[in-house]
Amino acid sequence: MLNYDFKWSILWSDPYGGWILEGVATTVKLGILCCIFAMLLGIIIGTFRITQFKPLRIFAEAYTEFFRDIPLLVQLFFWYFAVPSLLPEGMRTWVYQEIPDFEFWIVVVGLSLYSSSRVAEQIRAGINSISPDQFNAALSTGFSHYQAYRYVIIPLAVRLVLPPLTTEILTIFKNTALAMTVGVLETTFMSQQVEAYTFHGLEATTAACVIYMIITLIVVGVMGWIEKLLAVPGLIIRKGADS
Amino acid sequence: MNFEWQVISNNFFFLMGGLVTTLELALIAIAGGLVLGTLVGMGRLSKLKSIYYPSTLFVNLMRTQPLILVIFWFYFLMPLILGRPIGGFTSAVIAFTVFEASYFAEIIRAGIQSISKGQIDAAYSTGFTYWQAMRYFIIPQALKNMMPSLITQAVVVFQDTSLAYVIGLREFLRSANVVDAREMRSVELYLFVGLVYFIVCFSMSRVCKKLELKKENA
Amino acid sequence: MKKRLLFSTILMVVVAFATGAIAADTLKKISDSGNFITGVRDGSIPFGFHNDKNEHVGFSIDLAKEFHKALEEKLGKKLVFKTIVVNPKTRIPLVANGNLNMVTGSATHTVPREDTVDFSITFFLTGSQLLVKKSANYSAVKDLSGKKIGAAQGSTNEKTIRKLNTSGYFNPPAKLVVYQEHTQGMLALNNGIINAYCTDGSLLAGMKSKAKNSDDYMILGEMLSYDPYAYILPENDSNFRDFINEQLIRMFVDGRYMKYYEKWFGADGVVPFPMTDDFKTLIKLQSWPL
Repeated sequence: MLNYDFKWSILWSDPYGGWILEGVATTVKLGILCCIFAMLLGIIIGTFRITQFKPLRIFAEAYTEFFRDIPLLVQLFFWYFAVPSLLPEGMRTWVYQEIPDFEFWIVVVGLSLYSSSRVAEQIRAGINSISPDQFNAALSTGFSHYQAYRYVIIPLAVRLVLPPLTTEILTIFKNTALAMTVGVLETTFMSQQVEAYTFHGLEATTAACVIYMIITLIVVGVMGWIEKLLAVPGLIIRKGADS
Repeated sequence: MNFEWQVISNNFFFLMGGLVTTLELALIAIAGGLVLGTLVGMGRLSKLKSIYYPSTLFVNLMRTQPLILVIFWFYFLMPLILGRPIGGFTSAVIAFTVFEASYFAEIIRAGIQSISKGQIDAAYSTGFTYWQAMRYFIIPQALKNMMPSLITQAVVVFQDTSLAYVIGLREFLRSANVVDAREMRSVELYLFVGLVYFIVCFSMSRVCKKLELKKENA
Repeated sequence: MKKRLLFSTILMVVVAFATGAIAADTLKKISDSGNFITGVRDGSIPFGFHNDKNEHVGFSIDLAKEFHKALEEKLGKKLVFKTIVVNPKTRIPLVANGNLNMVTGSATHTVPREDTVDFSITFFLTGSQLLVKKSANYSAVKDLSGKKIGAAQGSTNEKTIRKLNTSGYFNPPAKLVVYQEHTQGMLALNNGIINAYCTDGSLLAGMKSKAKNSDDYMILGEMLSYDPYAYILPENDSNFRDFINEQLIRMFVDGRYMKYYEKWFGADGVVPFPMTDDFKTLIKLQSWPL
């Protein structure tokens, strides 16, 4: 067995406690930004996938497959290490050296694009799962196409899609940990940084685990609250959103 | 910017060596994850509290954690539990197996739940024990239902193995990184890595779609 | 329910770690397992790296092989020579937790690190320096004020840059970007993501010489810190430490050390890095009578 001296006080001693809190702040900021962008993009692409207009459908399908079938880490490395050499010299210097927190923003781009493809997939599945009869029924009561979507299909789809979207949001928060590989000072990075300075990696890593657990509980709580807010009694039997 | 694709052909065998490690890792993790996942998935449906709670705890705990952290965890923690050294590959295999098992478990639980209660009762009434019913009735049927989800998850595992990069394991991505540091051809190398991942994952997702269509038509 | 799960998880984790401490006997461990497991670097040229033929080689790997030979002699049996790639972040915990028998890499011997592991005598002497692109026309380290400088996580170089930032040497402070390993830093420098990469002078010389576009780079200015390299050994195992130190001294005295030095750092070596006078004196002083 190991010669390990537990010193949990490391976690709240100065400056290490502050580092971890800074890491948490970055994780939360990164996660929220990526969620917003991934949702916006995902809804757009997801809608493209079910339009009648073929070129848009093909574009959206290519987009989803492209970003979904390449590991996130490869995509991040591509954005970070490869893209600069494609830019002209002057622009490269400006983009990569003058933008404050450049590492942070490149992860926002990479993670949002990756996650948007997964969100799009959920949106498509959600809308497809609504039977065409619903749509026809809406039309037959005198709704226009727009009204049918506005008052029947979309409200239904939103409620159907919420549980899988909760899972996607959680995935985004978990994936923010990959940002450490390109030098973003988020929670996992900070736990390793505390390790590098104190050699108390087990305490620091445990702290990071607990932090991710708490983030999950908060996200599940918030999404559960939204679902309840939107729930139409008796309409959709919720199978329980698994975290 | 001019491309120099020779960097791929010049280092082809080295890169393929990395891909082999990735495939090995993925196959072991999928097999191990399925076995452990099946047990945990069954545990999640157990009426025995002593089985239900630990398996539920395990699944819920694992699913809150980023994989990268789980990998770090096993890389540092395994020697502690075993009291002896353990290589990067082994620790990665264990980390992936345990982590992916929690995802497989949920798929399998859903699959088992998709089998109607009547069938299970029928199996019991013909004198089958729990294990026999599981083995001959429920799991084979459930497997058929969950095949698309299982393949999707297998593709995820294959992609996830790229994270073994962080503990210095020479898998596909790291091989490219090693070559890159010497040759300075980031664009070509990462495009190549992305392309290979894309081809594998895309063809798998096609297979998955076919299975789903078959299921719907059946 | 969720709360209870969280609580019991924390409890589980705590229990899992409440293990006792047992002093290491590395020689016995090596003998029992029949394996000599040493951590080596990758991308730390020329201490441990992949050459053009994609073989894992290096100065420290050569020395590790000498330790392996000596261990086989001492224990009187064949031992499997196993190398595991470590990075600046994993090398200390992996020795501390018994994963590795030692690390033959390029670690700086510091006092805080002594809390967790032990070190051999010094086998190499260098210091933090900056690698920059020639085209950027920097003439002194101070020119990097307000610019982006890369360093590896957990390295002494990272701490050096932080110190220079807080002491006001860099004004405005340099933007530090922390990478997981040197190869990433070199890529970032080459692709114009950072303005300078900071690591030990000898490593920079190696990284520069291995790059395809070697002439585009230069090592800038003075040494920013003083870094004596030593091998990382398990804490509180003086038998093993004595053994490794003795082998190093024997190599200093009988010329094997200089042979390897010439092979890697000589004029025709992978990284031409002539031994400084300080370095020569250090080797002489450390050659304790046998």
